[in-house]
This record gives sequence, C-alpha cells and structure tokens, in this order.
Amino acid sequence: MDKIELKNLLFLARINADEKEHPEIIKKLQNTFNLIDEMQDLDLSDLEPLNNPLELNNVSRKDENNNRNKKKEFLDNSPESDDDYFTVPKIIE
Amino acid sequence: MNFKDQREKFRSKAISAKEAVKEAMQKIKNDNLNIFINDFETQALKQADYIDNNFEKFKNTPLSGVPIAHKDIFCTNGLKTTCGSKMLENFVPPYDSTVIKNCNEAGSIMVAKTNMDEFAMGSSNETSYFGAVSNPWNSDLVPGGSSGGAAACVAADITSISTGTDTGGSIRQPAALCGVTGLKPTYGLVSRWGMIAFCSSMDQAGPFSRDAFGCAALLDAMASYDEKDSTCSKRIEKNFESLLTENFGSLKIGVIKNIDSLGINTDVMQSYETSKSVLTGLGHKLKEVDFSELSSGICSYYVIAPAECSSNLSRFDGVKYGYRASNQKDISNLYMETRSEGFGDEVKKRILIGTHVLSAGFYDAYYLQAQKVRRMIKNKFESIFKDVDLIFMPTTLDQAFEKNRKDSDPNRMYKEDLLTIPANLAGLPAISFPNGFKNSLPVGGQFVGNYFSEDLLLATTHKIQEVTDWHKMTP
Repeated sequence: MDKIELKNLLFLARINADEKEHPEIIKKLQNTFNLIDEMQDLDLSDLEPLNNPLELNNVSRKDENNNRNKKKEFLDNSPESDDDYFTVPKIIE
Repeated sequence: MNFKDQREKFRSKAISAKEAVKEAMQKIKNDNLNIFINDFETQALKQADYIDNNFEKFKNTPLSGVPIAHKDIFCTNGLKTTCGSKMLENFVPPYDSTVIKNCNEAGSIMVAKTNMDEFAMGSSNETSYFGAVSNPWNSDLVPGGSSGGAAACVAADITSISTGTDTGGSIRQPAALCGVTGLKPTYGLVSRWGMIAFCSSMDQAGPFSRDAFGCAALLDAMASYDEKDSTCSKRIEKNFESLLTENFGSLKIGVIKNIDSLGINTDVMQSYETSKSVLTGLGHKLKEVDFSELSSGICSYYVIAPAECSSNLSRFDGVKYGYRASNQKDISNLYMETRSEGFGDEVKKRILIGTHVLSAGFYDAYYLQAQKVRRMIKNKFESIFKDVDLIFMPTTLDQAFEKNRKDSDPNRMYKEDLLTIPANLAGLPAISFPNGFKNSLPVGGQFVGNYFSEDLLLATTHKIQEVTDWHKMTP
C-alpha cells in the first residue's frame, strides 16, 4: 500500500489522519494484511462463499401502528437539533 | 458467592434483593480494577424494591433477586450506553435491548455496566476509551477482551453473573484469562436487538458466571425468539438449568490432531492434557480428529469482521447521535473530524482494513476468498460432528499476559483468538471453563458443540465441575 492508496482509503472511510502519521498507518495495515494473506494460497475455487452461518428466513410484521413515535428522545440524542430537525453545517451555498 | 447460593438466599428470604444490591454496590465502589464504566445505584435500588415488593412473582424466575452487571454494549433505556467509545460517551438510548429486557423480566437487577474494548474490538480490554481493565488475579495483567470487564466482575466476586458478547472469542477468551465460565451460544439463539453492532454475522451475546449452573440460568433468561432481530432463531424452547442434570451418557469427544503445533504454551497444554484424563474418568471417549484448516479461520475473520465493522460503524457521523467534532464549517469535514476524534486507533484501523477489502479491485481477493474460507471451516465442523458429539480444546494460546503487549506485536494479539474464532465463523456454540491453574493464574479449556447443543455443552461442563475445583478458586 502506498501513500496515494492510503489517502483514497482514508477518504472512503471518512477518517482524517495527519500526513506525518501515514507511514506508521501503512506499516500497521500492511502488518495485518501479511496475516490475512496467508489464505491466498488456498485453492477454494469449488466452494461457495458463506455470508451467514445459519439459514435466514424472511421476517415480516403486521402493518399496524405500534405507537413507537419517540421523536423527542431521538432528537434529544443528537449533538445539535432545531425544532423537528437535525442540524448540520450548510450543505448548499 | 456463587450464583446458585445468591439466588437461593433471595428465594429463602435470607436476603432481600435490596440487601443484595447494596452489597454489590459497595463492592463496585471499592473496585480498583476499572471494571465498570457506569453504575446505577438509584435505579438498582428502585428495581430491587420492586422485586422485593413482588416476591411471589419473582421467586421462581431464572434470576430471582440476583444483581447483574451488563456489558456496556447493550442499550439501556434512559441510561448511558458507551460501547467503550468516546463516540458514545454521552449516548442515552431511548429503549432497552432485548437482552436487558429479558434479564429484567427474569428478576435480575442491573447494578452497573462493565468496561469493554471499544466497540468490542480487542482481546485485552486495552482499547477502551475509559481505560484498561486489570485482571483480578494480577493487576499488571490484562483480563482479556473484549468482554474483559464482565469476566473480571464475576472473577472478583462483585456480581455472580454478567453478560457479554462474543464475535471472535470475546466471552470465552476473557473467561479463560479470569478463571470463570463463559458461553457463546449458537448464532441466533439470543437476540441482537439493541446490542451495538460490530460484525453482525458473528456477534452473539452470552452469559458469564463462576460455573455452568449460573451460565445455564442466565442463558435461560437471555435466550428468546425476537421478531425484531431477523437472524434470531425460532428454535424449540429448552430449559438449560433443568437440563444440567440430564444424563447424556458416554460422549465421543473430538480432540484435534497436532494441536500443539499451533503455538500453545506448555502450561496451557499441560492443563489440557490433565482435563482429557478428567473426561475419560467421567466415562467419555476421546477421538482424534483432523482439523488442519483451523488456523485459516483467523485470516477469514480479520477480513470479514473489519468489512462488517466498516459498514456498521459508518452510521457514526456526528449527525443523529453520539460525538460531534466542534466548529466544522462543512458537512464533509464534520464527518471526517467527528470520526477521527471519536474513534480510537484500533477501531480506525479495522474500519480502514474493512473499507480496503470491500473496495473495487480487492473484493474478490479478500472478501470473497474470506467467505470461502468461512464455508470451508463450517463444512469441516459439519463433517467432524458426524463423528463426535463435542470438540475439546484449550480456549487460548496463553494465560493472562502483560498490559501493552499489543504495541510490540499486534498480530500476536490477533492470534490470541486462533482457537475461538472458528466457532464464530461457523455460528456454533462453545463454552470456556476453568480447567487448570498455573503460575498463580487460571487456564481455560473449551468445548465446541453442534448447532443448538448448549444443553449438552452446559451439562458436560457441569459434570466436570462436580468433580473438579478449578472454578471455585478465587483471586
């Protein structure tokens, strides 16, 4: 992984890191990839990928009002809100 | 005091729930191991009053009148839930998780929330924003993680039961390092609703107690079908406590061929060998099984878990709840700074790994390959369980280790989970229990069972604990 790849990765993950820290971050990530890469030698071409250990079933619920409107509680948990809205910095100039 | 005695004291009216809570609160206030993030004395005393005033209703519930500490990953209505992170330092959920609701209904009283690795990412409880937890047996050592606080709480005899979660070994590894019993149920047995997500396809909540008896009673309370978690299983109801004394007869127990080549230390191996004689002494038969694929599990885990973590933790953006970086002029900087300041280094590292393995160009080589390894591990377990009832192995490679080891060799820390991860990849149940004592520290052994065989895991461990004393040792 080089510095350009790391910058792209940091942007995708929406994480900032001082450029001075980049070599150390690359070293740590590379160290983990060295561990992970041990699986690359396995020939698993005949296996289907498994994304969940158990068989999943669809769960549906009745379309009825369950009176779970907790608007105030949810807004109270936000770092900043105004009336019925979450507040964020201006998006469109 | 062990769970059974504690509950019996309430049932026989030798002690009220309120007195039990006061005793636990005193121990919490004297804690110098940093086991807890928050305690809830006022609410706990109120709940204890309620239980005492409704004695008839609670006298036969699974956890009647027993104080409990919950891992700070379970949402608690109106009470802070931090997940060990600065990101959620002041988060107050407007609802109870299903685990909390079930434990409340079963008659337990939450006295505190326990410390944990940040977002359950760690094997030493050192990544917590609220500081490392110390091991009750030796405060220079780690208690394991991520449910380090929960294991230490029971080991230090503060409460007789506690809850934890296990994504790659986060119940079993700290149970082993602290000398208590901890069970990771089959994926889907316990609802994940209201449990803050790390790796959704592996996260599973489970019980800690000194012995299998306490784990069985707590699991009876925790497990329930929950339509709010679409991965929750509609299985046949079992009463694990009453099944503890079930006679499952002579079992065929699988022991892994050449397991000593995996880097397990000599003391742990010695305890393992001693336990094998205990098993044969109880009339079980040991059968060597080949599981050469076992060590590939760790590669798969460190792709899949970070991938799901990068997705799950994308919700923390400083808008709707949690930490927000101050004085940000535009939305992009708000996201970037909030996440950079709110997450700790280990969490950020795993988000970056997850983002990388899911990105175009790397998806097939990493994510898809890891899912195939996951299939390979599951297939191998299925083939082994055609021939044996349980698999027995050590829980960890080492006993409790010194703090700050992660800085010198992070991959060694990841490898701590080598023996616990395979059960998570396959979604199988597994129990860790104290099976030896070396260097003045406990050692843990674990059984892995077939799907929904928690009754067999608990009953087999219970039988061992009837003829051994390792689970009775206290720091």
